[in-house]
Amino acid sequence: MRLLLVEDEIDIQNFLRSSLQEAGYQVEAAADGKTAERLAIGGDFGILIVDLGLPDQDGIDLILKLRQLGITAPVLILSARRTVDDRVRGLEQGGDDYLTKPFALAELLARLRNLLRRNGPPTGEATRLRVLDLELDLLRREATRSGQVLQLTQQEFVLLEYLCRNAGRVVTRSMILDKVWGMRIQPDTNVVDVHIYRLRGKVDGPGQKPLIRTLRGVGYVLKDR
Amino acid sequence: MSSKTANPLLHSAAWRISLRATLAFACGTLLVFIFLHQFVANDIQRRSDAWLAGEVDVLGDVAEQTPKNALHDRVVEEIAELASKEVPNRDTSASASNDSVFFLQTGDNDAMMLWVGTGNGQEILEAIQAKSTLPGAPMDLRVQGFDTPFRVAATRINDGSYIYLGLSERDELRVLRNLRARFILLWLLLVLFGFGIVFFTTYRMLSLTRQITEAASRIGHSDLSARVPTGALHDEVGSLALTLNRMLDRIENSMHQLHTITDSLAHDLRSPLTAIRGKLEMALSSGDQTEPIVIVIEELDRLTEFLNKSLDVAEAKADALRLARSEVDLDELLRIMIDLYEPSMSDRGLSVRLQSGGPIRIKADEALIHRMIANLFDNELKHLPAACTVNLFLKIDGGIASLTLEDDGPGFDDEVLPHLFERRVKGRQSNGHGLGMAFIDAVVRAHGGTVSALNREQTGARIVINLPV
Repeated sequence: MRLLLVEDEIDIQNFLRSSLQEAGYQVEAAADGKTAERLAIGGDFGILIVDLGLPDQDGIDLILKLRQLGITAPVLILSARRTVDDRVRGLEQGGDDYLTKPFALAELLARLRNLLRRNGPPTGEATRLRVLDLELDLLRREATRSGQVLQLTQQEFVLLEYLCRNAGRVVTRSMILDKVWGMRIQPDTNVVDVHIYRLRGKVDGPGQKPLIRTLRGVGYVLKDR
Repeated sequence: MSSKTANPLLHSAAWRISLRATLAFACGTLLVFIFLHQFVANDIQRRSDAWLAGEVDVLGDVAEQTPKNALHDRVVEEIAELASKEVPNRDTSASASNDSVFFLQTGDNDAMMLWVGTGNGQEILEAIQAKSTLPGAPMDLRVQGFDTPFRVAATRINDGSYIYLGLSERDELRVLRNLRARFILLWLLLVLFGFGIVFFTTYRMLSLTRQITEAASRIGHSDLSARVPTGALHDEVGSLALTLNRMLDRIENSMHQLHTITDSLAHDLRSPLTAIRGKLEMALSSGDQTEPIVIVIEELDRLTEFLNKSLDVAEAKADALRLARSEVDLDELLRIMIDLYEPSMSDRGLSVRLQSGGPIRIKADEALIHRMIANLFDNELKHLPAACTVNLFLKIDGGIASLTLEDDGPGFDDEVLPHLFERRVKGRQSNGHGLGMAFIDAVVRAHGGTVSALNREQTGARIVINLPV
């Protein structure tokens, strides 16, 4: 997947470039709007990351120009601005996404995947999810591990479903709050950890291989290996 | 600034204003006087003309009807002398000798027949002959040897002779001269007095503005605590000074808030930054690098949230918080929030209950409302001891959505309660940044609502949030 990274701060550009390359993207980077435009026209990129604070123009204007040029690849907006511009909201509704700095790399990667999935060819929605010996029946809202039915509450099921859909990948606390509870908040208490802790108590029974792993400081990962 | 060294008074606005005002006043009064003067002069002339016409007719009749004997001249002469005693505008203080009136009768050949007046009347006769004065309306006659002209009326009697009655305009001119002299004296006094008053008032008024200017320039340079003098009067300048002072109050207040924010930011950033630095140095030297890095990331996350919250509170205090309003169901939001927080609460032995009459939809900034409610729950979670209960009541009353939170914990510290919604105010046991309640207050205010907090009578705290629908 070819990715165009438009970011004027070289430190961040370098760090993102190597991280994204590690994650399997072919990264081209531009430090200003003009270069980005030139690269984007012939580049055939699958996805774009655009920082709003560019030296020569506003990131939003760049995106609008690229759209006029017929570039339809999804755009992930990076912004150091705290309050999100209304125009960004507009773009977000159009299928794109934004992330405010500072952000967790895991979240950036997750949002990129999410954008690509949304814009990719529709896959037949599975009714069952399977990760190792853990199985989720999405229609009956029932989870089993090694054939044993897990007694999950509705909310715990949604949380586990989210972890399963991202099996093998890190999800952060704010991603969990966003996707499972629909809130972009950052509580200064450990509310998410308690939920995970409880879920783990039900999923990873005694004697079983623990599936839900905590990556301290980052988030959680549901092991798929 | 050369004008200042020359003469500050002559270059002051007060001087210019008084000069112009006085000029306008002087010109105006002068015009009025000229008009009056003209009117008085005309009236005096009209009166003397009427007298002249009347007298010359009387004298003509007398001259006609008196038999032409030896007494004729004496009779006419006496009548003429009598008439000259009734001269209008006569200066009574003047000498008894009457030189302001003459009577002249001339024959067909312009020879003098009778003369009553000072001197022999020869110059007057010549002047009359030169001007060929005719009967009719009185007219002016300049005579050599006399300073002032005469007003002369003439009539012709049936024996073919002419009778002339002349009245010197001296008295008339004297009256007008007196009038002018008095006016000019009074006028000068009035103009000077007016100039003085205008100058005094404008100078005082403008010196107040000068003081304001000086005070304002001082404020710009040194500190914001100085205020401009307001003066005793509640006029335009006074209200200008008051307005300036109020503006300065607001600016000083904002600056103070800004200082508080930067101070608290500096304070609150320093310790975590120091901790982060220390952890990273530890990570460099120690074998296992995971733990310190994890702690650093957590510390950074907290720092980010603190920064966001500080800026939100600061913006809300400055009325600069931008709201992206959409429909928010408070009932649904509270249920989700309880679902999110319940496990943490029950882990700590707390229980939470909601009493709600059903969906309550308000137009609000969803993200801010989420964060505000999360703050409420975080506060409870952090400060309540075990075995406490949090009760939430949600109702709608007259277009106001009301959320009441009650707990049976220890309540707010007494010294904290009056300042609860200010920044950096926190209880003795609190280890937070002291922003939670300030943030709640900021969000509620930004939505046009009110929030109040108090300790319940028995025990525990009660927070009431009212938001317009």
